[in-house]
Amino acid sequence: MIGRVKAQTVETGKLLADWIEDRTGAVSMMEKFLYEPVPKRGAWLYTLGSATLFLIVLQFLTGILLLFYYVPTVDHAWNSVYYIMNEAYFGQLIRGIHYWSANFLMAVIGLHMARTFFSGAYKAPRELNWVVGVVLFLLVIVLAFTGYLLRWDQDGFWASVVGIKIGSYSPFIGGYVVNFLIGGDVIGPATLSRFFAIHVWLLPAILAPLIGVHLYLLRRHGEFGSEFEYTERLAKLKERQRLEEYERRYGLGEEEEERRE
Amino acid sequence: MAELQKDPITRSDFLGLGVIGAVMGTILTIPPVAFVLTPLIKTEVEGESDVLRTWERVDHVANIPEGEPVSYVIEFPIRQTYGDDRIQEESGVSQQEFTVRNGVWVSWRDGQPPEVLGGIGEGDEVSRDQIEELTQHLNVMNSTCAHLGCPVRWVAEVEELLCPCHGGLYDINGEHIGGPPPRDLYRYTFEIREDGFIYITHEFDGDPYIV
Repeated sequence: MIGRVKAQTVETGKLLADWIEDRTGAVSMMEKFLYEPVPKRGAWLYTLGSATLFLIVLQFLTGILLLFYYVPTVDHAWNSVYYIMNEAYFGQLIRGIHYWSANFLMAVIGLHMARTFFSGAYKAPRELNWVVGVVLFLLVIVLAFTGYLLRWDQDGFWASVVGIKIGSYSPFIGGYVVNFLIGGDVIGPATLSRFFAIHVWLLPAILAPLIGVHLYLLRRHGEFGSEFEYTERLAKLKERQRLEEYERRYGLGEEEEERRE
Repeated sequence: MAELQKDPITRSDFLGLGVIGAVMGTILTIPPVAFVLTPLIKTEVEGESDVLRTWERVDHVANIPEGEPVSYVIEFPIRQTYGDDRIQEESGVSQQEFTVRNGVWVSWRDGQPPEVLGGIGEGDEVSRDQIEELTQHLNVMNSTCAHLGCPVRWVAEVEELLCPCHGGLYDINGEHIGGPPPRDLYRYTFEIREDGFIYITHEFDGDPYIV
């Protein structure tokens, strides 16, 4: 009885997977993205990229939650953060995760870059992935900088003043940079709006597709080290995928299936 | 090359595409760029300022002590994204509510008040000659460091103004004597009026960028 239900469920599941696969190709895409040979030596170091991705996803999720209460105006910004921290349920947790994962993000990105650098993973054919990664790193730095002002407390305010004024030392365009960033010639409501727009809309919108490009390039060339250290494992994996593909297309003979069971 | 020639593009086609491309590009680019750069165009090209050119009262000259500077927080009304006077009035939001707070250090030159100050108390009428004498001996400085804009504080033991961020040092006249700042503290345009009070406006002897 249980065996039959199980078999039926598996059958239905296969039908559903096949149906979706036929129409979207999602199943084979999932397989392509999930199966990846990873060098055995120093395997933990290869999790740093995933850790970065995880922390960025946390930033997106908690950031969206914070937007439910945060008010980006000079007279309410600080109060709304105070409300999040003291009155909203789990507000401290949500904002704490946003704050701490932002801090850890910088550290983890540094480690991720160091791993890439010292293992030589930026070399051909992965140069462009290094370039995309550096752009992502710069975007995250600007995100951290713009997020600091949104608290609108003494700490964030003066740090931003110093940060913006560093921009005033750019040759020839110093004044323009400052006026563009603060939205006028004095820090005020426009400054907060600008930093809010940059932090919440502009940069995440650039960041998300670039992460996609970063991952695509990673999958295109594979983890560094896999191709010459693990050719054997790679060959086995290819063989297995080939067999599975064959199985899915033509199905197995009745006898074969029975024999397997 | 051979493949490209299969679908040849004539010279006039090429020119036409270029012209249309340029026109479309311009139409699509100018509005968003100008939109985002509005404050930059208004301040840098048209010379407008967000800070209203009001004269704010600081303090009476008799209250400026000898030998050390004294600090004030002065608020200037600003006009930024909230619109002009008419809009503010109609929406019921007063412009005066939106201000920029400036830290101001006021001191006598080298800490020595001029002799004419002796006879002046609050409520006395100050004559034109006295005003001139007082004006020459008064320092009215913005408190933000000329380096990266942190507020400087007075350290009485060494009689210097010190920036807490990167160690910029200024003397009692706001003149740069050490550390990274490229110049002296920014000085306000100020005037002493006949009632003996100091008035300042949001105008400096240079461009401090953020104050």
